[in-house]
Amino acid sequence: MSFSNLKLSRRKFLAASGVTLAAASVANGLGTIKAVANEHAEGKSKSLGRKFVPSSCAMCVNKCGLIAEVVNGKIKKLNPNHKFFKSRSMLCARGNAGAEEPYNPDRLKAPLLRVGKRGEGQFKEISWDEAFKIVAKNLDEIKRKYENRSSVVFYSTEGFQEEFFHFLVQSYGSTNTVRHPTLCLASVIQGWSSVFGTLPDADMSQAEFVIMLGANRAESIVTPDTIDFQKNRPKGQQIVYVDPRFTFTATKADKWYPIKPGTDLAFILAITNVIVEEGLYDKEFVDKFTYGFDKLKEHIKPYTPEWAEKECEIPASEIRWTAHQFAKYAPRSLVYPGRRTSWYVNDTYMRRACGILTAIVGSWDVPGGIVPKSSIPLAKHDPLFPFFEMAEGRLDAKIGSLDSILPKDERTAAGLPTDSCTFLGEKDGSWITFREAALKGNVYPIKGMITYKQNPVESAPNRAKTLKMMEQMDFICTIDIQMSETAWYSDLVLPESTYLERWDPCHSLSGIWPIVTFRQPVIDPLFNTKSMQEIAAGIVNEMLKIPTLWDDADPADVEDFKATLVEEILNQPMEEFIKHQLSKYPGAFEQIKKEGVFYLSDKPQYGKMRKENTRFKTKSGKIELYNLKYEEKGLDPLPVYRRPSQPEPGKYRFILGRHAWNTHAGTQNNGYLHQIQKENSLWINTKEALRLGIKNGDYVVVKSKVGEQKVKAYVTEKIRPDCVFYAHGFGRISKGLSLVYNKGASQAAILEDKIEPISGNAAMHETFVEIKKA
Amino acid sequence: MNEKRYAIVLDTKKCLNCKACTVACRVENEVPHEDGAYRIWVTALELQGKFPDLHQDFEPSQCQHCQNTPCESVCPTHATYKTPEGVVLVDYDKCILCKACMTACPYDARFVHEHHKAIDKCTMCYHRLAEGREPACVETCPTKVRVFGDLNDPNSQVSKLLDTNRYYRLKEDRNTNPRLYYIIK
Repeated sequence: MSFSNLKLSRRKFLAASGVTLAAASVANGLGTIKAVANEHAEGKSKSLGRKFVPSSCAMCVNKCGLIAEVVNGKIKKLNPNHKFFKSRSMLCARGNAGAEEPYNPDRLKAPLLRVGKRGEGQFKEISWDEAFKIVAKNLDEIKRKYENRSSVVFYSTEGFQEEFFHFLVQSYGSTNTVRHPTLCLASVIQGWSSVFGTLPDADMSQAEFVIMLGANRAESIVTPDTIDFQKNRPKGQQIVYVDPRFTFTATKADKWYPIKPGTDLAFILAITNVIVEEGLYDKEFVDKFTYGFDKLKEHIKPYTPEWAEKECEIPASEIRWTAHQFAKYAPRSLVYPGRRTSWYVNDTYMRRACGILTAIVGSWDVPGGIVPKSSIPLAKHDPLFPFFEMAEGRLDAKIGSLDSILPKDERTAAGLPTDSCTFLGEKDGSWITFREAALKGNVYPIKGMITYKQNPVESAPNRAKTLKMMEQMDFICTIDIQMSETAWYSDLVLPESTYLERWDPCHSLSGIWPIVTFRQPVIDPLFNTKSMQEIAAGIVNEMLKIPTLWDDADPADVEDFKATLVEEILNQPMEEFIKHQLSKYPGAFEQIKKEGVFYLSDKPQYGKMRKENTRFKTKSGKIELYNLKYEEKGLDPLPVYRRPSQPEPGKYRFILGRHAWNTHAGTQNNGYLHQIQKENSLWINTKEALRLGIKNGDYVVVKSKVGEQKVKAYVTEKIRPDCVFYAHGFGRISKGLSLVYNKGASQAAILEDKIEPISGNAAMHETFVEIKKA
Repeated sequence: MNEKRYAIVLDTKKCLNCKACTVACRVENEVPHEDGAYRIWVTALELQGKFPDLHQDFEPSQCQHCQNTPCESVCPTHATYKTPEGVVLVDYDKCILCKACMTACPYDARFVHEHHKAIDKCTMCYHRLAEGREPACVETCPTKVRVFGDLNDPNSQVSKLLDTNRYYRLKEDRNTNPRLYYIIK
């Protein structure tokens, strides 16, 4: 490939496609923002009186509409925005508790530079100017020393300002961005997309028969699904809920099957077997829209309910009943796709099977079925980034053998890739694989780490390994609102303004009810904090002062970059960015500022992918029951069941789950949420507890191959005897989180780091633990 | 009859025990972060059955705004009083923290508010009602377990729900005549 081709592809890959921003002429851009922040750092609020400001929540990923009641410049209450129909007129516990976020005593209030040893917690306050210089200087030093910009990894998770973090990454030119999907839903995206070419939604509001596999909608809130699941539940709707735990979702289900962990694929294949064998599928739909039904018909034969019963411990009669009901109510029947699907090493096949089952009964793009997402297109900015010569390709693309992060059982032995992640996300990467490669050091060194709104030390399995990887860094910088574990082990900590103090760009929330939201400040920033956009601007402006940071780029490229990114986006107020996003819709900016929401229709969208000539984004252009790309890559084109590893006698499988009052490891250090749950406890089945001499409330030690934690026992009938569970987000090691420091147990400390090698997802239910009375 | 008679009707079958109501209440009414300080709560009722045949219900509760008000009758300073709409309130200035009302309340709905140096409890967000806004718990509830309204208005949603559903009230044997109605579906 010639240099010019490389240059083209690099720029194309990095730059967002779409409409170029017309040169915006706004006077006093960044200066104004700085002035406002300085005023309020002194605690002088000009805004007396009472006002109601619409914006959107950021306590989890749902972005529910809120209206802040602000009295004399202080948030009194956050209330639901009744016009924001995606969140169905509600705010959950976290959404309400968000009112405390700006006032939390543990907030980061100014940039902090480490002065003691890493992890000692000794920091001194510095100015933003100094902080920006330090980042730029370190980025330059690493680039020169290792002659590779990709020696710096950029960790982030989703959020409205993540885009600006990625603008910073692209300004520097590292290819190593590691985003949240492989700790979350990479396998569900991969699995469902391998069938339909897209990840669809479930229409819970009109479905008559629903199979939910471990999707704990009552405790892991997804709007509008969680709300529709009870508030708008259609009369007569039946829910079959499959989970080793009796969760709050189980309390609402018509049937609860406490499935043997790791065998969900057997259950789904057996249902498919009944529907195919008994001819209960939608023949017309299958003929018209799908590819490979004949192969599926052959493939599915051995997977009878009687066979599955032995694997998943759900009676064959129940499986048959489920299959008959599923077919009877189709197309208003669905397998709920789920969200955090980082469970097992064969997860992609399991999700594929769910898609296939849905497809053969024709539950596609109809009310009550599985529906492809619709969206409201926004005008895109089109910044140009230089092509940098000193940037290697993704580290996790070249790791080689994955042996150390794959379990040794019949799944991997016979059917899963062992040399690399087959469908590694170009921008998302794979957390576990990346860290493994960084530690192996056999591709190139990783010496810098910049993290935004993510806490790898607590969110990624095998905490000891993450800390070990951080030890090898020359420079670690973390951007957050509180002193996360990752911040605690950093050299430089940059405080972001909370979601209630800043402008955030518009986001088009796609789905059956597409809607556009954004954020505007409901109060002025309380401390010396900045938004990610301002932080990116500050760092990039400093980088531009260092010539050696630009010497491996074409000078013309750098000029384009300055004009299209630095001047037109980073150095402009966010309002201008938002106005451009909404420029296709006259009056939309004024409307969204006033009402907190913009949409084209409040009616659900159905049917666009059921038309005569629909071409699906798959190789065959049809719904692929048999996947052609998988065949090409040497993967099973149809989902093959292979038995998972089982705990040795005396050990338990550790499984994960959620509570409705916390988001991952991000919200535990909030007074209101802490009030609900102060520490976590280990769910253990009554019989097993009796056997081990453990009583409710006793402290126990949970020990895996990679670590151990002490935690209180919750002795209950609500979990199978072969597994144990405790909630995420406790057992914290940052002393900067005063409410949760050293309380309860951390999952990251005991989870083994296994992966699902098709999507690169962490496989978080592959850890076996011993339990002993403490 | 022009007077309003406020009530809350709850469909607890829809309750996810998500605690949105309890946090909304704490923020709205500035309830301090202290154990035992709560205006409303959700109880996970005892688990029924043995693995794997299990059943569990959730029961949100709070001050029941009784018509026969044991807290009011025992209050020596008349700090506890009823509004014309039947909402039971506490006048912080008159409260001497004798805690007689806490003892008298069959619902354990009262607590000592350390900042106000007075007994505190649910007010049905009385301050919001004048503005035509619903109590914070009702407004925020994700699945709309709670419906607030005027029993004297036959067209209100609460009246209609009580007309068309069977219901129970908590501790009816105490003859307190509560204004919180739990419908049975």
